[in-house]
Amino acid sequence: MATLVSSCCPFSCSTPSTPRPSPRFPLSSLPRVFSSSRSSFLFTYSARISLVHPLMSRSNPRSYPSVKASGENKKVLILNTNSGGHAVIGFYFAKELLGRGHEVTIMTVGDEKSDKMKKPPFNRFSEIVNGGGRTVWGDPTEVGKAVEEAAFDVVLENNGKDLETVRPVVDWAKSCGVKQFLYISSAGIYKPTDEPPHVEGDMVKVDASHIGAEEYIAKIFNSWAIFRPQYMIGSGNNKDCEEWFFDRIVRERPVPIPGSGMQLTNISHVRDLSSMLTLAVENPTAAIGNIFNCVSDRAVTLNGMAKLCAQAAGRPVNLLHYDPKAVGVDAKKAFPFRAMHFYAEPRAAKDILGWRCSTNLAEDLKERFEEYVKIGRDTKPMQFEIDDKIIETVNVPLAV
Amino acid sequence: MAGFSFSLAALHQNQPSFCLIPSSLSEFNGVRLCNSVQYKRKALHPKGALHVTASSAKKILIMGGTRFIGVFLSRILVKEGHQVTLFTRGKTPVTQQLPGESDEDYADFSSKILHLKGDRKDFDFVRSSLSAEGFDVVYDINGRAADEVEPILDALPKLEQYIYCSSAGVYLKSDVLPHFEIDAVDPKSRHKGKLETETLLDSKGVNWTSLRPVYIYGPLNYNPVEEWFFHRLKSGRPIPIPGSGLQITQLGHVKDLAKAFVQVLGNEKARRQVFNISGEKYVTFDGLARACAKAAGFPEPELVHYNPKDFDFGKKKSFPFRDQHYFASIDKAKSLLGWKPEFDLVGGLADSYNLDFGRGTFREDADFSVDDMILA
Repeated sequence: MATLVSSCCPFSCSTPSTPRPSPRFPLSSLPRVFSSSRSSFLFTYSARISLVHPLMSRSNPRSYPSVKASGENKKVLILNTNSGGHAVIGFYFAKELLGRGHEVTIMTVGDEKSDKMKKPPFNRFSEIVNGGGRTVWGDPTEVGKAVEEAAFDVVLENNGKDLETVRPVVDWAKSCGVKQFLYISSAGIYKPTDEPPHVEGDMVKVDASHIGAEEYIAKIFNSWAIFRPQYMIGSGNNKDCEEWFFDRIVRERPVPIPGSGMQLTNISHVRDLSSMLTLAVENPTAAIGNIFNCVSDRAVTLNGMAKLCAQAAGRPVNLLHYDPKAVGVDAKKAFPFRAMHFYAEPRAAKDILGWRCSTNLAEDLKERFEEYVKIGRDTKPMQFEIDDKIIETVNVPLAV
Repeated sequence: MAGFSFSLAALHQNQPSFCLIPSSLSEFNGVRLCNSVQYKRKALHPKGALHVTASSAKKILIMGGTRFIGVFLSRILVKEGHQVTLFTRGKTPVTQQLPGESDEDYADFSSKILHLKGDRKDFDFVRSSLSAEGFDVVYDINGRAADEVEPILDALPKLEQYIYCSSAGVYLKSDVLPHFEIDAVDPKSRHKGKLETETLLDSKGVNWTSLRPVYIYGPLNYNPVEEWFFHRLKSGRPIPIPGSGLQITQLGHVKDLAKAFVQVLGNEKARRQVFNISGEKYVTFDGLARACAKAAGFPEPELVHYNPKDFDFGKKKSFPFRDQHYFASIDKAKSLLGWKPEFDLVGGLADSYNLDFGRGTFREDADFSVDDMILA
């Protein structure tokens, strides 16, 4: 079942039985609209879009937001993690699909009554229910039971990080006739490179646990697509991203940044990840057999992210660079992002799905800061133990 | 449905394969290393609309053309059947046989290329000589200031296209990258003459196209980019790199740039458009040092990092690149023009080495005085 046509160019095989949707030309540069009103960002980048391709015709039948390419409603099951940075993906994706007329069940791993469900996005699952979606809880080894043997066209696996966790889901999906299997992997599996960005097809770390899952999915399913995200911002995020910067900026604390702060990372608004997944669901023949870096098309330096957060907050920022090893702190606990270049680009999505990026950190962070203040987090008492340790020992010379 | 699934196992260990493709510019005889396709493309770019129809031969003027980009560009244009004139002061020989270029090809090219000798700063001469000749298309490869453009446009009221070699150096420095064509530009940059030229072209009714390369490299490069590394590698010296070496830059091969210039000729998609043109991938400073070594067959070099603020080098340049992140997305050119770079970094550097430095030719002698200050 798993064969490579050519060892030289594994991806250049043609598949005569999978006709391309036409037109293939990426003209779908119109802004996406979601059920939640976002008039401010429409204005922000509609001007940008017209500058990008002033001569491009808008007669693409896939013009957003109204018309679905395939025209048919899909029954989609999202198997969602109950914690961590990826949790919010399922939340947005569910709402977007529902807004476009698909049927959605979101199955969260674990127990509905667990404490984890008191955190976002789970504490906002009523939004999914109100949108016509179904929310269930259960164990990935017993998906059928959790969904009460309902049938689905598409499954998005947004939980497992290794083969052991993903396999029962894949097996179940295959056994009950699921046609398309989508998987949220991670851009973290790319091997560090001298030549950024990470592009689909680049080498991955041999010991990355996601690989086993990716390979199994590709082996079992014909119509599969794999998505490798990085970091994301967005309302309902389960894991701090921009909040980490806001916490320090509003309290007029220095923002400690490992290394020079020149390291590039990729921070997307989760709506972009959701729109990419939606394109895959609605254009399965285009998506089939592909890996997609599920990220925005711009990288930002760590220093840049701190500055953008400060601008969004309308406050000054004090950057404090340090060497985690010299200071003696756990780099993972001290800072929300990897301290090295971590930079993938969404080339496959743009080229194959006609996907367009809408993330505009300068604008998006303003909205994020408004919510940050609205929920009162700016005045919440907080401890900064690790920061304090860094600040104390900052006279250690920088290794970078 | 005869669908297929294929193993991700090989996908995950997708090494760039080494294909020897006969160069479409066969006279240059370089060995090109090609990457296998990065991902599965469902369809090739549609033909016709995106491909230049070189069916009608044009009378083309190249401002410059005897030093680097134009050397390669003019050859392609002549081969495609256009009548090509080079406007230069004649300081550099109008034609030179290139390394790897066959005698026949060179003879053919030399017999067909035309020369218009003059100083483009002599605006009256430009006006009179160009209007006397009449040209369909102008490639402005060496223009630096907007005032150089006016006399050309005045002299050629029926000009079909003005194709300009600008620079990604016009972009305003940013923490958010890569640079896209829509990004803010810097009116105070060192390249503001290029920016002013683009603005002037846009204000006139002429059909213009502007290409913005990043760092250009390849055989005959007169900017010591790869040459700077090759000198040090050859001498077995450590390579001094400012800062962390993590700064990210981008190199584009001159032959790929030449192809892009050809691909916009008569191309409606390029009408009054700007395109970034460079390599597919970017590279860190450290990575570039390693890539040069790999391309030229030297052992992995010792890299020495230093803080440039600790030194005063006077007017001497300590490193061939801006000390900052500097790279641009080539997405627009790829999707609108159907152009893409043929050379990957190591392959392109090998081409440059094999045809230039590796044969003992270079533009500037090695000068390690700055290195010695750093390494002391």
